[in-house]
Amino acid sequence: MTAYNLAAIAFTLFALATAGFLTCGSLVRMLMFLELMLNAANIALVALGGSAASQAYAAMLLVIAAAEAGVGLALIIALAGAFKTLEAENIKELKG
Amino acid sequence: MILDAAVYLSAGVAALATLLMIFQKNPVKAAMLMLTALLATAGMYLAFSAQLLAVLQVIIYGGAIMTLFIVALSVTPQAWKDKPVPGRAVRVLGLAAAAVLLTELLQVSTVLRAASAAPGFSETGTLAIAMNLFGRFAFQFELLSLVILASIVGAVALASRRTAP
Repeated sequence: MTAYNLAAIAFTLFALATAGFLTCGSLVRMLMFLELMLNAANIALVALGGSAASQAYAAMLLVIAAAEAGVGLALIIALAGAFKTLEAENIKELKG
Repeated sequence: MILDAAVYLSAGVAALATLLMIFQKNPVKAAMLMLTALLATAGMYLAFSAQLLAVLQVIIYGGAIMTLFIVALSVTPQAWKDKPVPGRAVRVLGLAAAAVLLTELLQVSTVLRAASAAPGFSETGTLAIAMNLFGRFAFQFELLSLVILASIVGAVALASRRTAP
């Protein structure tokens, strides 16, 4: 197995998550696919790094993923209250 | 050899779960498929001898983040009522964009073909990771606490905001 194979695995997972992000309309699903994209980046970091430093970076990325999920879901709940919908197509106003 | 097979198997499960997630209509089933992909990733970390990360993956992603998603799905009935917009062109465009992205990424990483990276059993101890986190990356690690603090404040402010009458 070469480093290229490992990179290809991470890139395939990233591309699949990107495809899901671009094709689904629901905000919750978009956030789910965003998490999977971050996860694929983490896989690349661990697989290609192979040292304690890369694992430390990956652990920090996990923390960022948790923070992002918290803020994202709070945003989604606020949007659901304001617009009564979670389809990205139906949210068109940018009024504060 | 076994580790190679484990990496490919876990990656296959993760890719299959992500693919099924795209076509899954029920949001909770989609969340369960996401959980499958995340746990398969934990298996991949084990094959890379990143035991601590595998455990963190199960606890943070599989536990905390999935719980957040399920709670968010259950408190927003809109997530269930919304019917997906039948935009076939958008779907095809999205898949094409992802395919182009994948091709580009694979193209730029062809230099990695020469590098061998066979995963082998090794013991990357928690101590070595902690030495990095609290030594070499101490500043970044401390900055992360500010990120967490900002996200907590942001989440509380967003969730507790009353909508204007």
